[in-house]
Amino acid sequence: MNIRDRKLAPIWDKIQQGQRLTLADGLALYTTQDVIALGRMANEVQQAKSGDAVYFVLNQKIEHTNICVLSCKFCDFAAKKGDERAYEMTTEDVLAKLTPEIREVHITGGMPPDWPWERYLDLVRTIHHRLPEADVKAFTAVEIDFFHKKFRMSIEEVLRQLQAAGLKTMPGGGAEIFSERVRKLLFNQKIGAKGWFDVHSTAHRLGIPTNSTMLYGHVETLEERLIHMIKLRDAQDETGGFLTFIPLAFQPGETGIKPRNMFTSAIDDLKTIAVSRLMLDNFPHIKAYWVMLTEEVTSVALNFGADDIDGTVGGEKIAHDAGATSPTTIAKEKLIQMIRDAGKIPVERDVYYNPIHVYADNVIGKIPYLNSVPFHAHLEKQQFRLLPVVPRRMGVLAAQGELDAGLFSLMDFLRLEDVLEPLGWCIATRDQVKSVMLFSKEGWRDLEGKTIGITDDTATSVQLLRVLLEKKYHVHATFERLHAGVNDCSRFDAVLLIGDEALRHNKAGLDGFELVFDLASEWYEWQKLPFVFAVWAIRKALPEESRRDLAGLLERSLDACGDDFASIAGTHGRRIGLTEAETQEYLEGFNYKLGEREQEAIGVFRRFQAELAASGVGNGDSREG
Amino acid sequence: MYVQDILAKAREGERITREEGIELYRHAELLDLAEAANEIRFRKNPGQQVTFVVDTNPNYSNVCTIDCIFCAFYRHPGEEGEYTYTVDHMIGKFKESAGHGVTTVLLQGGVHPSLPFDYYKELVRRTRKEVPEVFPHFFSTSEIIGMAHGAGMSTEQVLRELWDAGLRSLPGGGAEILSDRVKKKISRLKGTSADWAGVMKQAHRIGYKTTATMMYGHLENEEDVVEHLELVRQIQDEGNGFTAFIPWSFKPGNTPLEKIIPHYATPTRYLQMIAFSRLYLDNLPHIQASWFSEGKKTGQMALHFGADDFGGTLQEENVHAAANFVNTTSTEECVRLIHDAGFSAAQRTTLYEILRVIPTAEVAV
Repeated sequence: MNIRDRKLAPIWDKIQQGQRLTLADGLALYTTQDVIALGRMANEVQQAKSGDAVYFVLNQKIEHTNICVLSCKFCDFAAKKGDERAYEMTTEDVLAKLTPEIREVHITGGMPPDWPWERYLDLVRTIHHRLPEADVKAFTAVEIDFFHKKFRMSIEEVLRQLQAAGLKTMPGGGAEIFSERVRKLLFNQKIGAKGWFDVHSTAHRLGIPTNSTMLYGHVETLEERLIHMIKLRDAQDETGGFLTFIPLAFQPGETGIKPRNMFTSAIDDLKTIAVSRLMLDNFPHIKAYWVMLTEEVTSVALNFGADDIDGTVGGEKIAHDAGATSPTTIAKEKLIQMIRDAGKIPVERDVYYNPIHVYADNVIGKIPYLNSVPFHAHLEKQQFRLLPVVPRRMGVLAAQGELDAGLFSLMDFLRLEDVLEPLGWCIATRDQVKSVMLFSKEGWRDLEGKTIGITDDTATSVQLLRVLLEKKYHVHATFERLHAGVNDCSRFDAVLLIGDEALRHNKAGLDGFELVFDLASEWYEWQKLPFVFAVWAIRKALPEESRRDLAGLLERSLDACGDDFASIAGTHGRRIGLTEAETQEYLEGFNYKLGEREQEAIGVFRRFQAELAASGVGNGDSREG
Repeated sequence: MYVQDILAKAREGERITREEGIELYRHAELLDLAEAANEIRFRKNPGQQVTFVVDTNPNYSNVCTIDCIFCAFYRHPGEEGEYTYTVDHMIGKFKESAGHGVTTVLLQGGVHPSLPFDYYKELVRRTRKEVPEVFPHFFSTSEIIGMAHGAGMSTEQVLRELWDAGLRSLPGGGAEILSDRVKKKISRLKGTSADWAGVMKQAHRIGYKTTATMMYGHLENEEDVVEHLELVRQIQDEGNGFTAFIPWSFKPGNTPLEKIIPHYATPTRYLQMIAFSRLYLDNLPHIQASWFSEGKKTGQMALHFGADDFGGTLQEENVHAAANFVNTTSTEECVRLIHDAGFSAAQRTTLYEILRVIPTAEVAV
């Protein structure tokens, strides 16, 4: 990278070493004239997180009413009851707007004085039942706070009831800018930073992930924008429940607020995307919300750190009433085109950012765990594109023919053997693994009849656990799936964790679980064989040339790593709290070559697997794909 | 040769070949191109400054007989909506524009089958005499060729007589894509690439300054784009008469080509084109960002992708408007857009002499 602005070089060094940026760093980034270097830094950070993927969702925005008890200066959407513009939708009106392909229903609206609580619950419940494919993302923190006060329930109770009705995630609106100075000037009727964070952290604790936003381009200062980001970053450290950050360019329209400019400059928009990507190091996604940002800037923002373009949206009244220049609906094809033009791969997602469809060729799945980093650390992509994906989704996508190669979980590989061809590389243990761990309150034989929480991410570890329980220890337990993000594990008798999460808890411990078992060493002591967790494979439908190319590229990446995993330790290892020595030791525990002993181990596991399947064990209750 | 090697070569100021150009255009990542293009841009035009011109873009006639399928502006002789203005009328318009601070008039028409050559000379002569504040930037190559046909003269003779009347600068329009493969499909009657190149070379030999343009985003492929830039680069090697290169995307509204190409190319492609042309056209001083043809936000972004000029304020414009693509600005807004993109704004003449600099604060966000 050639950085023209000398102020940026030390910041880039910090980023590469996995260090956190300060407010002063943020200011240096925001005020640089080397916009391209800023973009490249953000683009590289984004690529490390989301590969070549840019996510979109087939969504419908529902604004159930514009009647609102508040009168915010910046809003020209709200109306008072009796106004000519006022409207209210019934649940049936809402259903009439939803088409079967919709995967996310985004509900926000005004705060009417006279709706009963049951009407909101009914709205969520009915959508959830009538369109099970469509997940409900509903109500900003401002609305939740309104419910809390109006219906005299705690915020937690409001959220619990909505969750029970079918609420999956929440939008990030109402954050505006976390500055009391600005709030008093513009948003004095809104809840402010504390109120907003109370709602979001409560939601996270209940297992409801949420989005976050920042409204910029009015009267706020750059410091205030950066403080806003830092507050979000701190909160994310606490809960891990934020999915994405969405900077919203202010649309003055007829709102009566007079910012310096009618519209933010394209450069301010791009800088805001890039700076937020770099500041919010613990956020998985940054969204370029095309409806507000304009199509012009959005397509370029995808090279400035954004990996999320929102969706087809449907009807967007709020931004449109204030004069946003985007058309209200961009067809899915247009979103796909915009993403492709940016040189990225369009990935249709669900409400949790799981990929549902991938619209590109030569896509390699990239497992987000430390043990697969040596394959990717020096991988020259050439014609291939990378999609970060957990093992379980990788199997689903490959079965759909939408993912061409990757490090497949052994279970998926066995299931898809007809269409997949192994590439000679795998992730196999020597004796222990440290990243597939059962945290337990009981010894193995005391787990009979108990309930074990299992990770959602991979089938193989779950099946290995099943084989160990049934075949080695002859006990039968019930499995229940853990959900992504924060979970209350205390109700389980044991919990199976894998990947970086397992590594982290292996080091730090998991409260309430005294015993820790390493599944690979359990297997090794029993079978005197390595365990193969995953196998590199490519779809047989691809030309022979692709197979050769990819096998070669993987070999070169491994060779380039050699025995020196120090650089990996510096970045990825540090991120999950491992020292250099610990990372080194962990990675040395693997064998990456698919040799005879590994083939033998696969054979043994396959036989156990077949026996369990024949006896009907482990089919219904583990529920993995 | 790998993309990174080609970029390194371009950075060194070494000329990239046609094959390297195609490789770069196909495979370079957007911000890699931008980084290299910016380096060259600041080497050629140092300083955090962007130029612009206060201009207008009227038309003396929309009568045309060459039926380009990308055009929504022209009318056949006798067709409803056709018009041709008198010289008096045009001079009146120019005077009014001059009153609003306009220094450049970019004037084009159609390729009119029957206007006498004297009409054109008169337009130039009277503009220089009666409206000395504005600099005429008149007549595309297609019109020059049309005049030559109509008057039974060579294009060189036409150019000489217009020079004698006081014309010093020609717009680069009519180039579209300088690849005959494409030209045959979109503008069969408009002449070949060699015709455009021939007029430009003659003009540069006589002493004219001209711009070079490109309209992309229709039926061209990567090779056609590179062929276009290659020809521009060759002409510049010979005559050094191009002031700037100005690419814009095809606007399909109301054109016959709309059926095949319903959308105009995205901003990402435009920025790629700006950066790529900066690298390929190593002998052109200026690359113009067009807020007008691509949108104001895209225009601002282009200033960070290798462009150093923001084009004109365009007080009047009819050709894009005929395709339902309308953008307007004022001098004040133009300056503010440049400032907000992080640059000082410098008002220039048609020939890129600086008239005044409007500095911005040290940092604009």
